Amino acid sequence: MTSGLRRAALLAAVALGGGTLPAGAQVLPSEPIALAGGHVTVSGDVTAAIGSDDTGFFNYTDYEHSALKLFRVDLSTSVTLNSHFTLLGEIRDENIDTLRAYAFYVRIRPWIDRGIDIQAGRVPPTFGAFARRVYATDNPLVGYPLAYQYLTSLRPDALPWSADELLRMRGRGWLSNFSIGNQEPENGVAVATAFRWDTGIQLHAASDKVDGTVAVTTGTLSNPRITDDNSAPQVAARVSARPIPGLVLGVSASRGPFVSSTAARGAVGDGHDRDFTQTAWGGDIEYSRGYYVLRAETIWSEWKLPALGAPVIDTPLQALSTYVEGRYKLRPGLYVAGRVDHLGFNDIVGSAGPQSWDAPVTRVEVGAGYSLLRNLLLKISVQRNTRDGGRVPSATLAAVQAVYWF
Amino acid sequence: MLLIPRRTRKIVTLICFVSSALIAQSPSAIRGLRAARNGAIRGRVDLRKVPTPSEPRPNVADLGAAVRALDISDRLRSVVYLESAPRGAFETVEPTHAVMDQRGERFVPHILAITTGTTVDFPNSDHIYHNVFSLSKTKRFDLGRYAAGHSVPVRFDRPGIVRVFCDIHSHMNAFILVFSHPFFSLTDNDGRFRIDNIPPGVYNVIAWNEGVQSEPRAVTIPDGGIAEEDFVLR
Repeated sequence: MTSGLRRAALLAAVALGGGTLPAGAQVLPSEPIALAGGHVTVSGDVTAAIGSDDTGFFNYTDYEHSALKLFRVDLSTSVTLNSHFTLLGEIRDENIDTLRAYAFYVRIRPWIDRGIDIQAGRVPPTFGAFARRVYATDNPLVGYPLAYQYLTSLRPDALPWSADELLRMRGRGWLSNFSIGNQEPENGVAVATAFRWDTGIQLHAASDKVDGTVAVTTGTLSNPRITDDNSAPQVAARVSARPIPGLVLGVSASRGPFVSSTAARGAVGDGHDRDFTQTAWGGDIEYSRGYYVLRAETIWSEWKLPALGAPVIDTPLQALSTYVEGRYKLRPGLYVAGRVDHLGFNDIVGSAGPQSWDAPVTRVEVGAGYSLLRNLLLKISVQRNTRDGGRVPSATLAAVQAVYWF
Repeated sequence: MLLIPRRTRKIVTLICFVSSALIAQSPSAIRGLRAARNGAIRGRVDLRKVPTPSEPRPNVADLGAAVRALDISDRLRSVVYLESAPRGAFETVEPTHAVMDQRGERFVPHILAITTGTTVDFPNSDHIYHNVFSLSKTKRFDLGRYAAGHSVPVRFDRPGIVRVFCDIHSHMNAFILVFSHPFFSLTDNDGRFRIDNIPPGVYNVIAWNEGVQSEPRAVTIPDGGIAEEDFVLR
């Protein structure tokens, strides 16, 4: 374990009231802190995960952070200015590193008695279901679904000259590099990242049975941003329905320019950055009853890249991800959970013939959670990752995680 | 809200156990119990600071928000009880039924005081799923998720405090105080209480509200009369 992680683990133990803390640890808040007569509410999540060395980078969220070795502190705040305006924000720190504003936006409710909200700023993801789950409490396992975390080799700021150049990066999304645009090695992007939120404006309307959301933002599903790096925004939409209690069905779509202006200019000159888009469709379902919750989600994504040198990338790059997840409570405070997850890619033709443009990966993760207190949860999970490519084609990894929230 | 201090929890749990052994009245007092007429205690609990209902966690990840009206009326109610109970009190406890509803994303009532052996029904009166669970040592249970119109009963056989939550709506919480004797009273919204049918004698009386409680106060219950006692909390 690195010294940074050791320090993180120690801080986690202290924050969670473990170790040799005296009785004072009992005064840790168990519910959100309300200030100014309830106009300001602050809540927090502290998660500390320690797991196996992930030499295949299956769980990395960028080049430096693995979801299995992560100490994370989230503080969320809502400031209710009046019945129409609320400011919401979340700051996050990972491994005692840089503090980042994960969310920061204003929520406007024009009519009090109508379920219509306008949100502007760094807003919650419109697309899909997982990215809006509160990770600490709503993710029954330690790992993330592949579509939301696994790093493909694609980069918005760098482009492969040919199909061969792209194929050389199969299974190396944790640190890929291409010859056009930014030539420095950097991590690639997930199909839909759960670790950054996009910036823009969002309109949400809800009734008892159906919700609809549409958003215009600066980034894309794979690359949420604060400021735009090309000349057009992304449009995303989602509709979800609750036909019966416990059942949620959702469909999502998004489309926006993926490649940065700089990279596009390096490839094909000015004025074409709108052409290289990411388009995604998604469907999700959740059913819960009694002691179990079942979820499934599938995401199809397509990236259009410029066709440059031979052998050219003559077809859009596609990825299809599907996971099925379940949680069952065995007794009060104790649950078991599992997730089966696959992320696949379409073939492109390189010098050696057709091959998927990135290495398909499958993950099976099982685990359990035990609540020591209502707001102090211990999770343990084991996952088996297999990949058709990359330096490490398979890995069995284990992790434990402590979650405290208020 | 802060966690209930361990001392408070111990005391309240104790009160209920105490009673079984307690009966620490003198032999003459006990003889007197048989002939004397029962009395009562009444008074008022003054809450200097009313506990506010739990705020929902900031719903940063939500695409929109539901407007939720806060209702503090059920936070005004406290529980007053005898720390010690007269001999024979435990023989008179009869198991009953009580109801804690889930309505408007709240448990109603917020505080329920019952005797051991009582079965509490937890109906769901909302149009959404709820869950009821407790990790309290007094009673651990989890009723799973269930829809409107359904109710699941739970029997409480041990005295103590049970904190109740919903794992879908983190702002929903409630208290169930389980006594092994019947000498307790839930105040009204003005804080007024009355405990009847108490055999004459000297008893320690405690007022409790959401994790804070008064020091035990010795109160003399007169023969056939009414003792007056007021409390200030917070």
